[in-house]
Amino acid sequence: MSQDGHHSVVIPAPGPEFVPHTVAHHFDTPVQEFQAAKLGFWLFLATEILLFGGLFAAYFYYHDLYPETFKVGGQQLDWKLGAINTSVLLLSSWTMAMGVRSAQTSQKRKTLMFCALTVVGAAIFMVIKFFEYKAKTEHGLFVFPHMFDGYQVDTATMTGSLPWFTDVHNVMVDATGAPLPHGHLFFAIYVTMTAIHGLHVIIGAGLILWVMKGVAKGRFHAGYYLPVDLVGLYWHLVDLIWIFLFPLLYLVP
Amino acid sequence: MRAHAHNDGHGHGALQMGHHHVSSSAMFLNVLVVLLILTVVTVGVSRIDFGPANMLIAMLIASVKASLVILFFMHVKWDTAINKIVFLSSFLFLSLLFVFTLADQATRRIDHPMHVTKAKVSKEWVYPKPAISEKH
Repeated sequence: MSQDGHHSVVIPAPGPEFVPHTVAHHFDTPVQEFQAAKLGFWLFLATEILLFGGLFAAYFYYHDLYPETFKVGGQQLDWKLGAINTSVLLLSSWTMAMGVRSAQTSQKRKTLMFCALTVVGAAIFMVIKFFEYKAKTEHGLFVFPHMFDGYQVDTATMTGSLPWFTDVHNVMVDATGAPLPHGHLFFAIYVTMTAIHGLHVIIGAGLILWVMKGVAKGRFHAGYYLPVDLVGLYWHLVDLIWIFLFPLLYLVP
Repeated sequence: MRAHAHNDGHGHGALQMGHHHVSSSAMFLNVLVVLLILTVVTVGVSRIDFGPANMLIAMLIASVKASLVILFFMHVKWDTAINKIVFLSSFLFLSLLFVFTLADQATRRIDHPMHVTKAKVSKEWVYPKPAISEKH
């Protein structure tokens, strides 16, 4: 009996390695609990689409204004690393889908294994991303310590400088060697989009580790696997965003 | 508990959380293979010059990949109507943002020197190297 006099619904454990799930007392039925959480999570994912959507709109706007700047900018990125990372994320999306499926069918060890593989995928992705960022920082295409330093004007010579964009190898130039207009713009968009995406990868991996703790304790099984399902949806969203980022940033059309 | 009546060949568990769809492992594997093949196609078509159509082709392939992830990996195909509407409507609102942003840009008279793509960059816009290297 809960405080307000309702009986809590208990979903029995399907086996000795699992624990029963008690439906939160403010829900009448397990179905209601599941659907309420699921609807809320889809709403959250819709806001995520809109968050990245604004950045994609910025990309298309400036790509249209300075197509050559974007073309040359994209050529500075290693498309092979981008393609490897795309495959890593697609594979990890598959392991996550299999992890949710294993939870749905009360296969504890398989759920743990697939979740662990997904975290490994997240780690590989971030390690590759780290080396990409490191190379770009060394080439002065975006210098992380100066990322938030604005445009600085030297009043004596009336020249400006952007401390986070120094382009040490002079790569942002057109065929004649003349500087491209707004050469920093592509990298501003690249680093903003991939850093926010990378943050989602890290948060996603953390959530999967958290869910694995519950799986290990036997809390998630055929009768109740909601958290595994929701974390899985979050992870697929991370993959979904990258599917668009890869061709737009690494293979600038 | 709702009764289950499905004949799409997938397994279904009569679970306490309600109406659930458990997809087959084979289906997930097929989707993964198609996604990986489409990634190779994405790289392949980027090597061919179709002019402005390259962007359209790239986005078309990405949309097909995204649809596969949404429908199968995210289980939207078997989700409730309200969840489908909530998630898919975000793409509708996103298209409003894109349409109005790009319509504005396409119809705007961009003749300010700053906006002219082919304009020669003036000295002021070139970031002086010495000023930077002194700081490092």
